[in-house]
Amino acid sequence: MPRRRSRAATAAAAAIALAVLGLAGCSSADDTEPEDSATATATDSGSSSPSETATETKPTGVVVDITFEGDSVDPNGERIDAKVGEPITLNITADAGGELHVHSTPEQEIEYDAGTSTHKVTFDQPGIVDIESHHLEKVVVQVEVR
Amino acid sequence: MKLFAHGIGGAKDLPIPAEYAIAGACAALAVSFTVLALAWRTPRFNVDGRPPRRAPEWVATLVDSSWFGPLLRAFGLVFFLYVGAAAIFGKDLLINPFFGVFFVLLWVGIVPMSLFFGPFYKAISPVRTINGLLARLSGSDPDVGLRAYPARLGYWPAALGLFAFVWFELVYPFSTELGPARLWCAAYVGLMLIGGAVFGNRFYEHADPFEVYSTLVSHLSPWGRDDAGNLVVRSPLANLDLTPVRPGLLAVCSVLLGSTAFDSFKDSGFWIRRIQSWEGVSTEWLNLSALLFFILAVGTLFALATMATGIKDGHRRLELPLEFAHSLIPIIVGYVIAHYLSYLVEVGQQTVIYLSDPFSTGANYLGTGNRAPNYWLTYHPTFLAVTKVGGVIVGHVLAVIAAHDRAVKLLPPRHQLTGQLSLLVVMVGFTIGGLYLLFGA
Repeated sequence: MPRRRSRAATAAAAAIALAVLGLAGCSSADDTEPEDSATATATDSGSSSPSETATETKPTGVVVDITFEGDSVDPNGERIDAKVGEPITLNITADAGGELHVHSTPEQEIEYDAGTSTHKVTFDQPGIVDIESHHLEKVVVQVEVR
Repeated sequence: MKLFAHGIGGAKDLPIPAEYAIAGACAALAVSFTVLALAWRTPRFNVDGRPPRRAPEWVATLVDSSWFGPLLRAFGLVFFLYVGAAAIFGKDLLINPFFGVFFVLLWVGIVPMSLFFGPFYKAISPVRTINGLLARLSGSDPDVGLRAYPARLGYWPAALGLFAFVWFELVYPFSTELGPARLWCAAYVGLMLIGGAVFGNRFYEHADPFEVYSTLVSHLSPWGRDDAGNLVVRSPLANLDLTPVRPGLLAVCSVLLGSTAFDSFKDSGFWIRRIQSWEGVSTEWLNLSALLFFILAVGTLFALATMATGIKDGHRRLELPLEFAHSLIPIIVGYVIAHYLSYLVEVGQQTVIYLSDPFSTGANYLGTGNRAPNYWLTYHPTFLAVTKVGGVIVGHVLAVIAAHDRAVKLLPPRHQLTGQLSLLVVMVGFTIGGLYLLFGA
């Protein structure tokens, strides 16, 4: 009996060691930890400043075009990638004013008016951030911040 | 910053990288079949008649001292009243600590507390304490109610209560508004006090959703009692083996595992796009259907898998699902750790900060108000992902071993290996499904 036990234990240990090795191998291959992201500052975008809308700023990084029309919004829960500390630009076209809730940590809010407006939002922590239309209660985009 | 009206919110974890999910799945497969092929052939847990090891003297003296239990109960009651005051007199704001205490410290914190310290909620349960105080006022015994608790009900009331909680948390759209959350808690307290008055303290052991959850998880802790009531330490697997087999046990486990899986699924891009473009059916009904589907799928698959075996003469096949149901507990705990670890650590810290200001007046009663949460976990997604996969795999391994030992205890020798196979396949399926949900989050 004890012999069988030790064999089982060895086999289990070997399997676990293999799994751990596999994990360790992967983690060295993909080195995405944003170590210095803690230094990124939270720039609260808030509502759009007039200068942003007046001049054609050339967008750096991710740009999302959002269209509100009645009860629908485009895009509909699309996944987009972004980097920590890099502002993403939201071009909003809406038939009525409203609010976007940005479920980052901490939470942010974007208010927009009817018509076309441009807003910037920055994330200082990795994670998945839902940007949700307040009155439609629909997720417009999910941002994967790395 | 403008404050949100309500809610807990915040960013969610990144999905785990595909390599981790695959490595985890391979590990689960390898360990499962290793256990099946090489592990012991005679039951090992709680069979040899040796008395379990006594807990260290000072721990036993402390825990059994006349003041320790009342102190914990007093702590539970004071905390309950403090948070209750925030719920009743506080504002419907994000910074009201009631939300964080209810959804994070209680619901998620119950798992590590019970894992480390044993039946945690039973020790602090405010409803038990209030029931005890009422009994003392009326001069009766809180253990004895008006009637005996019907044994055939088992854990079913707790399964219903847990379902009511996960429905409220995951499906009900206004769960993070003060009014509805307060109402849920009031209904809980009310029902618990009525149940305690009618059936005595045994009611809480079977019907209090939080106590049942906590006590089941505590079977993975080292702490236990022997027949004489002495505090003992056992291996978590031996302790798990002593989980009482009662009606509704599989229902409780299915609700817990199915709802956690649904919580992962609910946030996936697939489901969000699907429900938002579904015309004519409300989001709540779709979410309710999906939640029920996950819970029923867990219960049904598990029940069928445990029954697909040859059995001893005179053994009833329909009893098998309950006799194996304890082996789901480690899977639940592993998956809860994977799914809620960062939430517990980070929103938990935030809640402790908010607790200093229960009425949103800028007060700092506990001195935690001017601290800031530590987001180390969020800034180390690789570490977080490894911990998640590790939690799922450790839970899976413990589950497979627990089921194996139960199989060699219950099944006739001829069917001990083949009889486990279907259950093993289902468990591997749960684990790979869980990893897939973490990957596809």
